[in-house]
Amino acid sequence: MNEIACVSGVELLIDYLEGVLPADLHAALDAHVAGCARCAAFVASYRETPRILREATAATLPAELEASLKAFLRARTPAFKSS
Amino acid sequence: MVVPAAEPSDEALAARAAAGDDAAFEAIVGRYQARVYRLACRLTSDTDAPDVLQETFLLVYRHLPSFRGESQFGTWLYRIASNAALMHRRASARRPAESLDAFLPRFDAQGQHVATPAELQIASRADELLDSRLLAEKARDGIARLPDLYRDAFVLRDLEEMSTADVAHALGLEPATVRQRVHRARLMLRGYLSELVGVKR
Repeated sequence: MNEIACVSGVELLIDYLEGVLPADLHAALDAHVAGCARCAAFVASYRETPRILREATAATLPAELEASLKAFLRARTPAFKSS
Repeated sequence: MVVPAAEPSDEALAARAAAGDDAAFEAIVGRYQARVYRLACRLTSDTDAPDVLQETFLLVYRHLPSFRGESQFGTWLYRIASNAALMHRRASARRPAESLDAFLPRFDAQGQHVATPAELQIASRADELLDSRLLAEKARDGIARLPDLYRDAFVLRDLEEMSTADVAHALGLEPATVRQRVHRARLMLRGYLSELVGVKR
């Protein structure tokens, strides 16, 4: 198996993390990341990115919006049935 | 002793609602409204999310009779919500999004990362290093700047934590396409987070 460069490892990263790479390629990436401090750091930050953005954008439904949604739907849904 | 009845499944509620049971429809709304609102905020904006929320449930109501149970009810509903958000984005005059291409990782001629390990790692700590309100605002901006195709896949996969297979189903894509789009979005947003904390990617 050829040695992997960082740039190829990055290209394959999501397939690697989702476990859909062929076994030999997966093993080659394991070996590269184990010996490359830059890739180890890159993978760590790549994996954390979704969590950080998920937590930062976890909007909660305001009570007044919940009430207006209910009123909106009550006013409209029976009309559909009769139409 | 009374054993509480198990909550009806989404699919059971959907069947009752499709047959005209308004209480079942309200139960569906109650179960999904917070998730649809959160998704709408992520796919559009706080300003547009209330409209997307209303439109989504109106569409759900109209299309319930055509729900055949080929996918899970939640996946079907997310597909409707994603489409409603997309229609909204198309309808609203959007400012041209400045590309996030500049935040992709950089490599030297040998294909090695240009940045140092410490620089590459820093995006992981964006939530420690930035004020949470600033981060919330910047996170919304960053997601809004993603190309539309990447945003839908990224939001459903990584922010709503759906499986790749479910996202593929909801968006009508092949799983490999979903992975590629999510990957590009992660690369861009990872670099964007690094830049926010003032470090090279």
